[in-house]
Amino acid sequence: MIYLSMTLSKIFKYTLLAIFNALIVYAVPLALTFESWFFLSLILVIGILVNIVYFTDRFQPMKWILPGMIFMLSFVVFPAVYNTYVSFTNWSTGHILTKTQAIGVLEDRVFTPDDQKGLEFEMYILQDIDLNFYYVANLDSENILFGKAVSDNEIFSTSYATHEPSLFIDGEFSTPDGYYQLSGKEQIANSTTLQELSLVIDKNTRAQLYKISVFGASTGRLTSTSQLYTYDEMNDALFNNATNTLCPVVKDNFECEGKEIEPGWRVYVGGENYSKLFSSQRIRGPLGVVTKWTFQFALLSVIFSFAVGLLLSMILNKDGLKFQRIYRAVFILPYAIPAFVSALVWKGLLNPDYGVINSWLGPLYEMLDIEPVKWLKTKESARSAVLLVNTWLGFPYMFLITTGALQSIPKELIEAAKVDGATGIQSFWRITFPLLMVSISPLLIGSFAFNFNNFTLIFLLSGGGPPIIGSEVSVGWTDILISFTYKLAISGGRGNLFGLASSVTIIIFALVLIISAISFRYTKRLERIYGNI
Amino acid sequence: MKTNKLRFIVFLLMFSLVAVACGGDTADDAAEAPDTTEAPKETLAAPATTAPPPEVIVVWAEEKVANALDPLVGAYEAAAGVDVEVVVYDFGAIRTDVQTAGPAGEGPDVFLGAHDWVGELAANGVVSPLDLGSVASDLFDVGVTAFSYGGEVYGFPYATEAIAMYYNADLVDSVPTTWEEAKAACDAAGTELCVGAPGGGGGGDAYHNHPFVASAGGYVFASEGGFDASDVGLDNAGALASAEYLDGLVKNGTVASTDYGGSMTAFQEGRSLFWMTGPWARGDASAVNYGVGLIPQFDGNAATPFVGVRGAMVSSFSDKQVLAQSFILDFFATVEVQQAMYESDPRLPATKSLFAVVEAADPVAAVFAASAANGIPMPNIPEMGSVWGPFGDALLIIRDQNYGTNEETGVTVSNASDAMKLAAEQIRNAIAGG
Repeated sequence: MIYLSMTLSKIFKYTLLAIFNALIVYAVPLALTFESWFFLSLILVIGILVNIVYFTDRFQPMKWILPGMIFMLSFVVFPAVYNTYVSFTNWSTGHILTKTQAIGVLEDRVFTPDDQKGLEFEMYILQDIDLNFYYVANLDSENILFGKAVSDNEIFSTSYATHEPSLFIDGEFSTPDGYYQLSGKEQIANSTTLQELSLVIDKNTRAQLYKISVFGASTGRLTSTSQLYTYDEMNDALFNNATNTLCPVVKDNFECEGKEIEPGWRVYVGGENYSKLFSSQRIRGPLGVVTKWTFQFALLSVIFSFAVGLLLSMILNKDGLKFQRIYRAVFILPYAIPAFVSALVWKGLLNPDYGVINSWLGPLYEMLDIEPVKWLKTKESARSAVLLVNTWLGFPYMFLITTGALQSIPKELIEAAKVDGATGIQSFWRITFPLLMVSISPLLIGSFAFNFNNFTLIFLLSGGGPPIIGSEVSVGWTDILISFTYKLAISGGRGNLFGLASSVTIIIFALVLIISAISFRYTKRLERIYGNI
Repeated sequence: MKTNKLRFIVFLLMFSLVAVACGGDTADDAAEAPDTTEAPKETLAAPATTAPPPEVIVVWAEEKVANALDPLVGAYEAAAGVDVEVVVYDFGAIRTDVQTAGPAGEGPDVFLGAHDWVGELAANGVVSPLDLGSVASDLFDVGVTAFSYGGEVYGFPYATEAIAMYYNADLVDSVPTTWEEAKAACDAAGTELCVGAPGGGGGGDAYHNHPFVASAGGYVFASEGGFDASDVGLDNAGALASAEYLDGLVKNGTVASTDYGGSMTAFQEGRSLFWMTGPWARGDASAVNYGVGLIPQFDGNAATPFVGVRGAMVSSFSDKQVLAQSFILDFFATVEVQQAMYESDPRLPATKSLFAVVEAADPVAAVFAASAANGIPMPNIPEMGSVWGPFGDALLIIRDQNYGTNEETGVTVSNASDAMKLAAEQIRNAIAGG
């Protein structure tokens, strides 16, 4: 028997593959309904690849590599590619939908002539034996309108509603024979059907159900029989039925008589976002200040935290030191607390009026007879505070890695130097430090790249402030590139400018890439020099 | 060829799995189809109620509001035969997620949010107009204006919020009606600071400073049935005169150079006689025996604080528009629900019927509500994003008397008028450039 020869692992493998394929097959129609061709092709390619690799024996190595590759593609490569794509679009407030969606939203709009605006009246919903819906609209005693409720495509073929005063006896509505009156509850159960139906009153006017009341009579309102906008596919334009004008497409919006119709949609705009960054004076001005400070901030953060971390690890690396473990644990603590918690705590500590730091420094200020430092409120104090906190946040990491690296440096080398008559400082700078750099410099580069984009700290500690007075956009002295991007594209301007924001992040990415490439090349040289020891 | 046969069987197995996976949908469709159309034809009795499952209204609300709303919806569920699913959502995330989840078909039907989102949401086409109809007569105008955009109303306002003036009731009986009298009261009481207002002391704050420039003709954006981003009024004659008046108030020590924290501690420690802030600070103010009055008038004009309004809106991507509207207008807008909401999350009432209830129970809240009624809503257009920074920075210069030349940009701000002109220029540039 064949299936008896199947081992447990094979059953497991085929079950997993079956589930995987079922998911793929389930996802295909979903991608089709959302017209997401990119996802569709991605799903198909991954699906076919997985099946080929695991059902044949020809690609043994791929069986190990493929899962990792798929994860890398979907979580690293895809976001990066997508970000790049967004940077070439106009994706922003007013332009977040696709053109189809925008037309859908616009075509749903109806209009009420001004003289009928705000008119509210009672509506009664009836059903006949064939389950057709009928509306009674009680506009006033002269207009008790009754008729069949029809869907949008029957509006112009159905007969108009008729005045039926007999439906009200002593001001009370009475259900005519042969009809069933729906209660509020039943109207709600059918609300998705009812909201598409209308009672046609004349050529231009219809009554629609607006508010279903579960306790009293429901309410209707009057609207035009035609929707406000009709999309004209031939001309690729929108027809305004209220004013009888054609609204052509202008770039990413329809325009009616020179006025943009919201919402617009997303389009490809080429390098427009990039050229805006470099040509617009109001962005270029602050960009210089911010870029300079970003480099200073990232570099000084790395230097300070590395210096503190190295110093501590050298001190604690002494053999025979008592409570060594306890000291180490204490110094790692800042690393164990989430950075955003520390940032907020520091913000409180630094508050110039009631923060702990100024109240501790109070005697010192009095002794030196100076004004208390207005932490985070002036350029210098804010920049120092940001660096101080970042050093505090960063040194435990440096402490950890230098402790490890120091222990891996052979003791014989230091002893040999001692025998040759080198002082402690000489042997540190000539032997320990260079050897340390071989293993640690890649991590320093990583730390630099991290601090280059350290949005959390800046955003939570200083919010980028204090403001640079007189600049053309709202920007602060401690803003780094990434927080400036946020202010420029997300919290400022006209709502969210995702396209512009993406283009700045691409530039930041390029900067970090170049710096890292140069640094790594330098590190390689170090390795070549000291690698053979 | 055992292995080949094996593969064939596995393939067959998988195909059947796939078939089951696909078949599930069609089977469901078949079950859902006969709702109203295929109900028994012989009888006229309640044909519609039997077949369809109850409709579900998904409501997104921040935690406090959701907790207030959750016990109330049971009554509506029973009466209307629907399921109301109140989802606790992070307040700020509602604004962004409505715009992404809606178009993806996963958004709410109804969501509760702030009025200043309306411009962005309407520009993006994710919120439906809401005809308030007869409900509108029960609402304060400021609430309806707040939710108006491009000639349509986009939400039912249920709560307002605006600043007023706290006073230290041990030292003074009430808030005077003019700033001169306020200064005189401070001199008489002999407090270190007079009026503590956030927006100085290094902490820019356009929100708290708004009455100082907008009470005598100044405005952020002109408002005529919706805000007009092309008309910035922060450097018109009224605004400049007000700014110079504020400059005088700062120079003669009436308005202190304090940020939010500074003004709070000063009031709590009895170092300032007045504190200009909103109803959220009542707990903090209770460190002293406090009272609340309207902000003193400017040249005979009532102070116009910025008013924030909260409201209920309908997602345009909801496929149950009528039901969502009915939920808001027929249930949420009723005074019973509004009052129950107020009891669990006290915000200033936006409806006249609730104001009448609150006025008797909590006079301090009524003062804040009256201050809000004098105010103007924060502009709800997306361009408002360009305003907060420059506006707050300009007022910060005046409040801190931080005049001078910026060495980096070469811009000189030598008086209050310069600061306002600079802010207006920055805002116009940002709108033109964005």
